[in-house]
Amino acid sequence: MSKKVHISPLANEGMYILDTASWRTERPVINKEKCIECGLCLTYCPVNAIIFDEDKYKITYNYCKGCGICAVECPKKAIDMTPEGGEK
Amino acid sequence: MKIKAMTGNTTAAIAASLCRPDLIAAYPITPQSSVAEYLSELIHSGALASNYVTTESEHSVMSVIQGAACAGGRTFTATSGQGLALMYEPYFQMSTMRLPMVMAIVTREMISPCTVWSGQQDSMSVRDAGWMQVYVENNQEIMDMIIQGYMITEHEDVLIPINVCYDGFYLSHLVEGVDVPSQKEVDAFLPAVHFNHAILDPDNPMAVDSLTSGEVLTRYRRGHLEAMTKALDVIDEVDKKFAKAFGRSYGGAIEEYKTEDADIVLISIGGMTGTARDAVDMAREQGIKVGLIKLRFVRPFPVERIAKALKGKKAFAVVDRSVSFGWNAGPMYTEVRAALLGGNDKYSHFSAIGGLGGADISLKHMTSVIEKLESVKSKPGQHETLWLMKEF
Amino acid sequence: MNYIEKLRTSEDMVTPGMSACQGCCGELVLRRILQIAGKNTIVCVPPGCMSGAGVVGWDYQTGMKIPVHIPLLTNTASFLSGVSQMYQRKGRGDVNMIAVAGDGATADGGFQSLSGAAERNEKMLYVCYDNEGYMNTGFQRSSTTTKGSRTSTTPIGEAINGKQQPSKYVSLIMSMHALQYCATASPSHMQDMVAKIERGLSESKKGFAFIHVLAPCPTGWSFEPDQSIQIAKKAVASNMFPLWEKYNGNYYITVENKKPIPVKEFLQSMGKFKSLTDADIAQIQQEADTKYETLKKLASE
Repeated sequence: MSKKVHISPLANEGMYILDTASWRTERPVINKEKCIECGLCLTYCPVNAIIFDEDKYKITYNYCKGCGICAVECPKKAIDMTPEGGEK
Repeated sequence: MKIKAMTGNTTAAIAASLCRPDLIAAYPITPQSSVAEYLSELIHSGALASNYVTTESEHSVMSVIQGAACAGGRTFTATSGQGLALMYEPYFQMSTMRLPMVMAIVTREMISPCTVWSGQQDSMSVRDAGWMQVYVENNQEIMDMIIQGYMITEHEDVLIPINVCYDGFYLSHLVEGVDVPSQKEVDAFLPAVHFNHAILDPDNPMAVDSLTSGEVLTRYRRGHLEAMTKALDVIDEVDKKFAKAFGRSYGGAIEEYKTEDADIVLISIGGMTGTARDAVDMAREQGIKVGLIKLRFVRPFPVERIAKALKGKKAFAVVDRSVSFGWNAGPMYTEVRAALLGGNDKYSHFSAIGGLGGADISLKHMTSVIEKLESVKSKPGQHETLWLMKEF
Repeated sequence: MNYIEKLRTSEDMVTPGMSACQGCCGELVLRRILQIAGKNTIVCVPPGCMSGAGVVGWDYQTGMKIPVHIPLLTNTASFLSGVSQMYQRKGRGDVNMIAVAGDGATADGGFQSLSGAAERNEKMLYVCYDNEGYMNTGFQRSSTTTKGSRTSTTPIGEAINGKQQPSKYVSLIMSMHALQYCATASPSHMQDMVAKIERGLSESKKGFAFIHVLAPCPTGWSFEPDQSIQIAKKAVASNMFPLWEKYNGNYYITVENKKPIPVKEFLQSMGKFKSLTDADIAQIQQEADTKYETLKKLASE
């Protein structure tokens, strides 16, 4: 905790980040065979866990809450929700 | 300088305009309305180049102003009675965000029964909302304290908004001669607005007013109280600077009149002071040794100066224009009485503050209060406030 | 650049880890607005789900990469008016002034200040994410809650069955102010929503822009988190939440609904409507039809 006392209540010492990945019971996994790289999953992801990297859509798991919207909205059903193994 | 005959409300509007506010927001309410009207005239005629926001309520007045202050702007408004009550939510936030501004309160009795007339119940009711409050006696003092107010509120050791309170109708609608400083003189006296301690700025992003835990909130409160204490010195300092520039001094947080040899003392607040002075003079002619204390600053409360002024006196009475429900006395009477305890009481005592914003008051805290009591019990009088908080 | 390219190349302005529920459309909408707006932005997020989820920071840590403030529930548009006016005064009218507020802060407690700011045509973009209730405090009803909804203050009971009053149509009310821009949007129709955010931002440099976004809430409405977008789609398809905009004084329906699905399909896809009677459903159907007819009339003039 900072020793600094501001005059007014304000926050400028880094980002407040919660470990939302720990909520996940299932993780979305892209089936590369079926994926047509349309990008709809990225547009609908509430946490912005899906990125576009080297011409491919990829799911990152640092903050993905496992809501499953991407799997439902994928027009090719190319995303599977697979159970987490209990590991973090 | 030139003397002009004008009402208290016109005086307040002119005083504010001389301080070159960036933004003014206002909503009309009796008896303040002509402040809003006169400012509109200044804006619409082109005489004043402030942004002027006529909102749909006083709640929004204070909110618009808060936004402008969060962008570094100097702001002004005035309100009364019910308007102040409606404004209470952002009013409290303005002070606890430590945003400087000057707001005139044209004091008015609170409803019910239905009334629009004078009284100080409105401003007195919000004296613990974190603002500074000064009560003035005449139109000249309205002018002078609005100008001084900006210097006090924007002082780097203070950064607390200030109310300049003057009596509805008795001053707001009374025409008096007022020595109006020139724009050049005010510009020379008052530095350009310069605070930047809490600013919404894309070039320096921060969260202003994040969700805050009790322990951290307590630190902000302590800082606010310390700034209130420092403000007492700043008030005196600014009074002296003002006297040098304009030739008028008000004596700081209180003004004493014929108190030196007095054995009884009358204490007044605001516009009633002129009448009180006359009453004192008349009584003196009859050989009654009476003096007068004009209570100017109610927040910060000038505890030490009041105790000193009343030291050795035989009797005092405070004339309040408002009530303290439950104390069944006037609020300033109870506070003046409290101010005397520190010097005269046979008890040893202190204030302990904790449990703010969800912080816990633990057994350890309660024990620390007992330990301090034990250590001070043979030293009568007031001891330093004990903050029941974590030291980071 | 199409909207997908825009979204995949723009930077997220919000903390990556915030405590909005799984499948929260509020979070989705907040991130989209701010990633389109970019860094030259000041945002206000009043009390509600989003501020409660940590985007306004905690103690000394912030929740955004851009300046953020939590105003009061009741004064978002007024507060932002003051910020906006000062920035205009400083010659910095280029800075985006954005409010992202829930329906309570918009249509209930905050409505007076919102209406005032719209009437003054203050330069800002005000976005309401409408999850039809006070979800952050435990799913209490608001004025935008759909008739028949089960909320924690309109429970299902023997005597009274859910919310008894139809919802307040806040976007249509707002459009009757002489404002710069007004629109409705749904996260299910992302291309439409992105276009409206962009137009709202550019119009906000000239005056008041208002966007009313439907934000289905899995926790409060009682459906599986993966169904959020499906629910939003049904709301649009059934005319429960038609998509339209108003600018230059004209209304436009942006997603034409030639063959609307019955509202029943929308209502039956979640738990909060599970106790509706056939008569309730018929009445909600009629209200949706009337709403759409009104919009069509406005758009045809």
